[in-house]
Amino acid sequence: MRRDEVMAKLASMPPDERVLLRPLVETSRGFYVTAVALGAVVLWGTFAYYLQIRYGLGRTGLNRPEYWGIYIICFVFFIGISHAGTLISAILRVSQAEWRRSITRSAELITVLVIGFGAIQPILDLGRPDRLLNVIFHAQMRSPLLWDVISIGLYFTSCTIYLYIPLLPDLAVIRDSGIKAPRLYRFLAAGYRDTPVQRARLERVIGFLAIAVIPIAISVHTIIGWIFAMTLRPMWHSTIFGPYFVVGAIHSGIAAILVAMVVLRRAYRLEQYFKPVHFDYLGRMMLVMSLLWFYFTFAEHLTVFYGAEPAEMRTFWAKVTGKYAVSFWAMNLGCFFIPFVLMARRATRTPKGTLIAGIAVVIGMWLERYNIVVPTSVNPIWEIEAVGRYLPSWIEISIMSAAASGFILLYMISTKFVPIVSIWEIKEGRDVVEEVTRRVARYSSAHDTPMPQEDG
Amino acid sequence: MTRWGMVIDLDRCTGCAACEVACKSENNIATVSPGQADMGRAMSWMKVMTEVEGEFPENTMQFFPRPCMHCDNPPCIRVCPVVATYKDEEGIVGQIYPRCIGCRYCANACPYTVKYFNWYGPEWAESERRHLNPDVSVRPKGVIEKCTFCHHRLQKAREDARAEERELREDDYQPACAEVCPTGAIIFGDLDDPNHRVAELKEDPRAMRLLEDLGTQPKVYYLRSRQ
Amino acid sequence: MSPTRREFLWTAGAAAAATAALPQTQDVFWTTDASPDPGWAPGVETGHNSSCLLCPARCGIRSRAVDGDLVRIMGNPLHPMSQGGVCPRGIAGVQMLYHPERLASPMVRVGERGAGEWQPLTRDGAIGMIADRVAGFREAGRPEALAVLAGYCAGTMQDLWHQFLRAFGSSNYVSDDYDDGTDAIMALMHGIPRRPGYDLERAEFVLSFGAPLFESWWSPLQAFTAFAGVGSAEERRPHFVQVDTRFSRTAARAHEWVGVRPGTHATLALGIAYVLIRDELVDTEFLAEHVSGFEDFTDTGGQRREGYRSLVSRHFRTEEVSAITGVPVQRITSVAREFAESRPSVSVCGTDVTLSPNGLLAGVAVHSLNVLVGSVNRPGGVQFGEDLPLGPLVAPVFDETARAGLDRAPIGGPRPPFGSGDQALRFAEAVTGQADSGVEALFLYYANPLASSTNPSVWREALERIPFVVSFSPFLDETTRYADVVLPDLLPYERWQDAPTPASHPPNVWGISRPLVEPHEGGTHTGDGVLAIAQRLGGSIAQSIPYESFETLLQERARGLFTAHHGMTLGDEFARRHHRQMEERGWWLPEHANFEAFWEDLVERGGWADLWYDDTDPAGLASTSDGRIQLMPPELLRALEASDQEGEPYIDLAVEGATAPSDFPLRLIPYRVSTLASGTLALERWLAEQPGIFPDVKWIPWVEVHPETAHELGLSGDTEVWVVSPSGRCRARLVESPGTAHENVCMPYGLRHPDGELASPLQLLDGSVDPLTGLPSWITTHVRLERA
Ligand SMILES: Nc1nc2c(c(=O)[nH]1)N[C@H]1C(S)=C(S)[C@@H](COP(=O)(O)OP(=O)(O)OC[C@H]3O[C@@H](n4cnc5c(=O)[nH]c(N)nc54)[C@H](O)[C@@H]3O)O[C@H]1N2
Ligand SMILES: Nc1nc2c(c(=O)[nH]1)N[C@H]1C(S)=C(S)[C@@H](COP(=O)(O)OP(=O)(O)OC[C@H]3O[C@@H](n4cnc5c(=O)[nH]c(N)nc54)[C@H](O)[C@@H]3O)O[C@H]1N2
Ligand code: SF4
Ligand code: SF4
Ligand code: SF4
Ligand code: SF4
Ligand code: SF4
Ligand SMILES: [Mo]
Repeated sequence: MRRDEVMAKLASMPPDERVLLRPLVETSRGFYVTAVALGAVVLWGTFAYYLQIRYGLGRTGLNRPEYWGIYIICFVFFIGISHAGTLISAILRVSQAEWRRSITRSAELITVLVIGFGAIQPILDLGRPDRLLNVIFHAQMRSPLLWDVISIGLYFTSCTIYLYIPLLPDLAVIRDSGIKAPRLYRFLAAGYRDTPVQRARLERVIGFLAIAVIPIAISVHTIIGWIFAMTLRPMWHSTIFGPYFVVGAIHSGIAAILVAMVVLRRAYRLEQYFKPVHFDYLGRMMLVMSLLWFYFTFAEHLTVFYGAEPAEMRTFWAKVTGKYAVSFWAMNLGCFFIPFVLMARRATRTPKGTLIAGIAVVIGMWLERYNIVVPTSVNPIWEIEAVGRYLPSWIEISIMSAAASGFILLYMISTKFVPIVSIWEIKEGRDVVEEVTRRVARYSSAHDTPMPQEDG
Repeated sequence: MTRWGMVIDLDRCTGCAACEVACKSENNIATVSPGQADMGRAMSWMKVMTEVEGEFPENTMQFFPRPCMHCDNPPCIRVCPVVATYKDEEGIVGQIYPRCIGCRYCANACPYTVKYFNWYGPEWAESERRHLNPDVSVRPKGVIEKCTFCHHRLQKAREDARAEERELREDDYQPACAEVCPTGAIIFGDLDDPNHRVAELKEDPRAMRLLEDLGTQPKVYYLRSRQ
Repeated sequence: MSPTRREFLWTAGAAAAATAALPQTQDVFWTTDASPDPGWAPGVETGHNSSCLLCPARCGIRSRAVDGDLVRIMGNPLHPMSQGGVCPRGIAGVQMLYHPERLASPMVRVGERGAGEWQPLTRDGAIGMIADRVAGFREAGRPEALAVLAGYCAGTMQDLWHQFLRAFGSSNYVSDDYDDGTDAIMALMHGIPRRPGYDLERAEFVLSFGAPLFESWWSPLQAFTAFAGVGSAEERRPHFVQVDTRFSRTAARAHEWVGVRPGTHATLALGIAYVLIRDELVDTEFLAEHVSGFEDFTDTGGQRREGYRSLVSRHFRTEEVSAITGVPVQRITSVAREFAESRPSVSVCGTDVTLSPNGLLAGVAVHSLNVLVGSVNRPGGVQFGEDLPLGPLVAPVFDETARAGLDRAPIGGPRPPFGSGDQALRFAEAVTGQADSGVEALFLYYANPLASSTNPSVWREALERIPFVVSFSPFLDETTRYADVVLPDLLPYERWQDAPTPASHPPNVWGISRPLVEPHEGGTHTGDGVLAIAQRLGGSIAQSIPYESFETLLQERARGLFTAHHGMTLGDEFARRHHRQMEERGWWLPEHANFEAFWEDLVERGGWADLWYDDTDPAGLASTSDGRIQLMPPELLRALEASDQEGEPYIDLAVEGATAPSDFPLRLIPYRVSTLASGTLALERWLAEQPGIFPDVKWIPWVEVHPETAHELGLSGDTEVWVVSPSGRCRARLVESPGTAHENVCMPYGLRHPDGELASPLQLLDGSVDPLTGLPSWITTHVRLERA
C-alpha cells in the first residue's frame, strides 16, 4: 500500500483511532536517531557479554566477598520496574478506577518488556550459563532462586497474556483498517471480531486475569527479597524484605510509568489521553509509595541500629556514614525526599513535576538495590574477614546500559505496532460514564458528596 | 553414625600456614595473577586468618586457620538451585563441579566466606601441570569450590580398608592440612566415635565454634588459646 | 539430595582426565564437562622418605609421585626433629621442581656477558670446557686462581668442594652462608668453636632474643615441635618468651612478647642478669664449679679487674635498662624471675643480636644468662653437639702444583679477630681492590651475590674482572646471567645428598635426600659434576676423589655410621625412646647384618640419628685453658684493649643507640619471611602469591609502618612507597601495622615485584660492621619513605 493511501485511510478513521494509530504508520527522524543510538549501545553491550563469556566472569569487578554486583542489582531493579504495569493496571482494574483507561496499556507494556531484561540478569551473572538448564534437570526446590524462576516464569506468562487479551480489540481494529502489515495483524488478532459475545468473554477473562496477576506480581518481588533474606547476612536476613521489596518495586514501577507517560505524551502528542489528572492521581500514588518506602526503610534501619549486633552494625555504618554514605543518602533523596516534596503539593503534581520525581525515584531505587547488595556483600559476618571492595568493570556497566537501552528500544518499537493507549477501553470509558455515575452515587452518602468531576 | 569433623587447637597453631599450602598442593588450587589477587580473587580453601589487637609493644594476635566448617545445618546447600553442593551421609559438604551453574548464591549464604569462585579458568604453566594431584579434579572456570575435607582421601582409605578387609581406622583418613601441621594443631576424625580424639576434644572446656549463634552447627571446633 | 553416583565419581575419583582435558577448558566456554577418558587407569604411585634441602633445617619429608611425577611433599614422621611436620616452603617444593624457568641444559655464553645469549651444550661438552679452562692456569702454576663461592651447603657437598679445591691447589673456598656469629661467641666463652644447640624440647622456659623461632630460624620445625610438645608423651610444653623489636609472627605466637628498641636486646639481657644477681637467683653452685669471671679477678697481666657481677650490678640497674630498652622495670623483673624459676630455662641468641655493630659483645651478654642459671650441657639448656661419625673422604693427594698453590694466602684481606665475617664481600673487595687479584675462575654454587650481597655493585665489578665464571644453578638467577658456562644442578628431589640437621638441634641427625623422581635430563648433580671435572683433570686430583658417583661417596660416609656402634636408622616414636633409653645405659645392639642392609634401611627410612647426648661429660661444658666457662673471656679482653673500644665487655652495651638523622627519621628493621626458600630466588607461585599470613599482602613486597607514622607522612595503607636510605632505595607497598614501633619500619627481604624486581632492604644497609666479627650490621640503618 502506498503511503498516501495509508494516510488517507487513517484520516478517514474516528478521532481516537486517528490519533492513537498514527504512530503505527508515521515515524519521525528523531525516532530513528534514538533507535540507532540505543541499538548501538545494545550491540556494544552484546560485545561486552561476548568478552565475558569468552574469558570468564573475571572480566567483571566481582570478587570474594563481593560475589554479586551490577547484574543482581539490575535484576532486582528491572523486575521492580516491571511492577509498574501489570500490578497497577490490575489493581486499578479490579478497583474499577475509571481513570486507568488511558494508562493501562503503556504500563502493561513496560511490564512485559522489562521482565525479560530483568530475568536475563541472573543469567548474565552465571559463571556457567551453558549449564542453565541444570536449573530444570536438577531443580532443588528449597532454593529461593528456584522459587524465583517459577514465579518469574508465571509472572511473565500471565503478564503477557494480560497484555495480549486486552490488545485483541485494538488489533482487530488495525487488521480491519488495513493500514499496516495485514497478515501480521490477521494472525495477531486471532479472529477477534468484537461481537458482543466475544467482548463479554474478553471482559470476563480480563477480570479474572486482573485478579490472578496481583498475587503473582506480589510473589515475584517478595521472592526476590527473600533471595537475600534467606541468607544469614547482616542487613539481608530481614523478615520485612518481602513487603519492602514489593513496595520498592511498585514505587519504582509508578515512577517508570510516569516517566514513560511524559515522554509518550510529548512524542506522540497524547495530551488528550494523558491528562493532568492522570499525573495528579499517579503522583498521589507515588506520594503514598514514597511514604511507605520510607517507612520500611526507616523501620529496617532502626531495628538494626537499635539491636546493634556487631556484624549488622558494620554494614549499617558502612551505609550510613561509611564508604556507601553517598549512595545511601542519594537513595533517600531520590526515593523519598524529592518525590515527597514534589508530590505533596498539587502544584507540582504536573507532568513536569512527576517527570522529575519519577527520574529521581528510578535512580533512587537503583541505588537502593545497590545499597542492599554491595555493603552487605563487602562486609562479611565474620569480622576477622577483610572488608571487600567493589568497582564495577566497564563490561558490567556496558551490559547494564545495553539492558536499559534494549528495553527502551523495544518499548519504542512496540509503540510502532500497538496503540499505546487502549482504543477500545477509552471508547468503553465514554460509554460507561452513565453507569459510573450511578455507581458512585450508590456508595456516596445521600446529600453532601459532590458529583465526581473529572472521573474517566 | 559417622560425622567427620575437625578440631583446631589455637593454643598450638603458630600461623605457619603449612596447612594452607598443603591444601593447595593436595587440591590443585591455582594461584591468580597479582592484579587478580589485589581484587580479592586469590583462593585458599584453608586460610589462616589473623586478628591483631593492641598497640606496640602490647599487641596480641590470634590465628584462626579456617577451612570450610562443614556445617551440620549448612545454609549454603539449601540455596543451591541445582544441588551442586550437598551434604553427604557422613556430614561432608561437597561440591559437584560439573553441575554448578556458577550463581554464587551458596557463597553468599555461607557465613564463613569459605567459598571461592573461579572467575577465570585456573592457569598452570605447562611444566607445573605435572605436580597436579590426579585424585582431585581441576576446576573449570565459572564454578564454586571450597574445602572438601579432602574427601577423595576418604574414598581411597575406604577402598584400602576394604581391600584389607578391616574397619576404617582413625589415621586412615586424614586430610592434607591435618597431616602436615607441624604442631599437631589440626585434629581430624569422627565426632561421633568415642575412640577418636575429636570426639573427646569437642567436649573440652576450651572448645568453641565460629558464629555459633547462627545455628549452622559447624563440625569444625576450635580450642581457645590458653593465653 | 545427593549427587548421582556418576557425578560423584567424576568429582572425587577419576579426575585425572580433567587434568588431561585442561588445555581445552582454558578458553572455550561451552566445553562439555570432561568425562573420564576411557583409557584412564589409576597411576602408578611411588612414595619415599627423603629430606628437604630448601633451608638449613633439613626436615624429613615423604614424597608421593604418580606416574613418575612428584605430586606431593609431606612430612616424614620418622624424622626426630620435624616429626612429620613440614613448613609451607617445603610443601611448595613441587613448584620449584616443575618451575617453568628451570634451565633445560648446560649452556655456554655466546654474546656479551649478561646479554643473555646462550648456546646449549652437552654435559660432557660443558665439563670438558670447564676442566680445560681450569687446567690451563693450573698448568701455568697458578691453581690458587680458582675460587668457589658457595652458599649454604652443610655436609658432604661442602666436604667435596674442599677436597676438590685442595687437591687442585687452591684455598679459595669462599663461603657465603648463614653466619650468625654464634660460633665465635661459643669459642670465646667455652673454647668450643661450634654453634650452640638448644634443647628446646626439654626446656621449661625459652627466652628468645630476636631469634625468629617460628619463622626462619635455623630450624623452625625444631621450634614447632618443641612448642607443641609433639614428641613428649606427657604433653609437656615450654613457656616461650620472645624479645623482639617488631611484632613478628614468633612474637605473636610466643606466650609473651617483650617489645624492645632496636639494638637493645643485650641490654635487656643484662638487666635480667642484674635481677638474677640481685635476687640471688643465679646457680651459685654451677658458677663456682664451672665458671670464671663472675667475680672480680686478676688478669694475666696481673691487673685487678671487675668481674661480671660487679659490672652488671654497677651498670645495669633495672631503671637504667628500662630507660634504654623501653621495657618497664616490672616486666624486666618478672621475666627474670620466670627465667630463674622455671628451670630448665634457655636463652636463645638470634641474628638480630649478633648482626649489629657490637654484635659479639651483645651475643656474649645474651648467652651469659644461660651460664648464670647453669643451663649449659644440661637437658633443656645449651648443648654442643658432636661431629657425626661419618666415614672420611680418602686422604687427598697433592702434587707439586697443588702444594705450591696451597702455600699462597687465600684471597680476601685480613680476617677479623673472631669468626670469619662476610667472606664473600671481602673476597669481592679483594678482587676489585687490586689491579690483578689473580683470580682466573669462579665457581658459583648456591650463591647469587648480585642479588644477595649487601653490596651488589662490588660484586658486579668483581665478576667483570674474573675471566671465567661457572654457575651450577638450575635457574638463571642474576649472577648466573653473568656466567660464562652454566652446568645446571639437579633439583633437590632428583638428587642424592646428605642432610644433617643444623647445630641448633642438639641430637645428631644425618638425613638423606634421594631422587624421588627421574632426574631432569638436562641437569647434572653438581657433586657428580665435580667428580667428572676431577676425572677429566686426572692425576692427583682424580686420585683424591676416586668416587664413581656422589651416591657412592655418600655410601662411603655412611660406612662410618654403620661402624660407629651408636645411633639408629630413623624410627618411630617408640623406637626413638627405646634407643635413647638403651644408649643411656650404655647399650647398643646392631640391627643390620651388613652394610648393604644398613644402607638400604637408612635410605628407606630417610636417614640416621643419634638421639642420646651425654650431658654428664664435662667436656661438653668448656675446653678453655682453665676448663671453665669464661664470662670475661681473656681473648676478648685482649682484643678490646688492642682496639680503640673501651676495654671492658658488657658496659659498651649500656649506652643508648644513635639517634636518627633528620632526613632519615625511621629505623629500618629488615626481616626474613618464613616462606623464603632461598635468599634470592623468586618464590614458588603458591608462596609468592602469599608470602606471609601477616600482613596479608599478595605478590607485592611491602613495608610495615605504624598507622600514625604513616598518617603523619601523609601516607596510608596500600600506597606504593620508596624506602630510601643513604645507600639506595627500593619500592614496596605500605602496610599499616600497629605492631611496629612509631620510629621503625619493618621490611621483609627476599621478595620480588611481579616483574622480577628485587626489593631488598639488605641493599639499603649503611655498611657498618662489627669490628670484632666482621659481620654486617642489619639494624643500624635509617631510612625515609617517599611516595612512589
Ligand atoms: N625460610 C628460610 N629460613 C632460613 C633461610 C632461608 O633461606 N629460608 N636461610 C637461613 C639463613 S641463610 C639465615 S642468615 C637465617 C636468617 O635468619 P635470621 O638471622 O633470624 O634473620 P631474620 O629473619 O631476618 O631475623 C632478623 C630478626 O631481627 C629482628 N631485628 C630487627 N632489628 C633488630 C634490632 O635492632 N635488634 C634486634 N635484636 N633484633 C632486630 C627482626 O625483628 C627480625 O625478626 O635464616 C635461615 N633460615
Ligand atoms: N634479597 C635478599 N638478599 C639476601 C638475603 C635474602 O633473603 N634476600 N639473605 C641474606 C643472607 S642471610 C644470606 S645467607 C645470603 C644468601 O644468599 P646466597 O648465598 O646468594 O644464597 P641464595 O640466594 O639462597 O641462593 C643462591 C642461588 O642458589 C641457586 N640454587 C637454588 N637451588 C639450587 C640447587 O638445588 N642447586 C644449586 N647448585 N643451586 C641452587 C639459586 O639459583 C639461587 O639464586 O643472602 C643475603 N642477602
Ligand atoms: S599448619 Fe598448623 S600450626 Fe601451621 S598454621 Fe596451620 S594449623 Fe597453624
Ligand atoms: S562453612 Fe559455609 S560452605 Fe561450609 S558448610 Fe558451612 S555454610 Fe556451607
Ligand atoms: S554457585 Fe554452584 S554450588 Fe553455589 S549455589 Fe550456585 S550452582 Fe550451587
Ligand atoms: S580438609 Fe583438605 S580440603 Fe579442607 S582445608 Fe584441609 S586440606 Fe584443604
Ligand atoms: S623448615 Fe626448611 S627444611 Fe624444613 S620443610 Fe621448611 S624449608 Fe624444608
Ligand atoms: Mo644467611
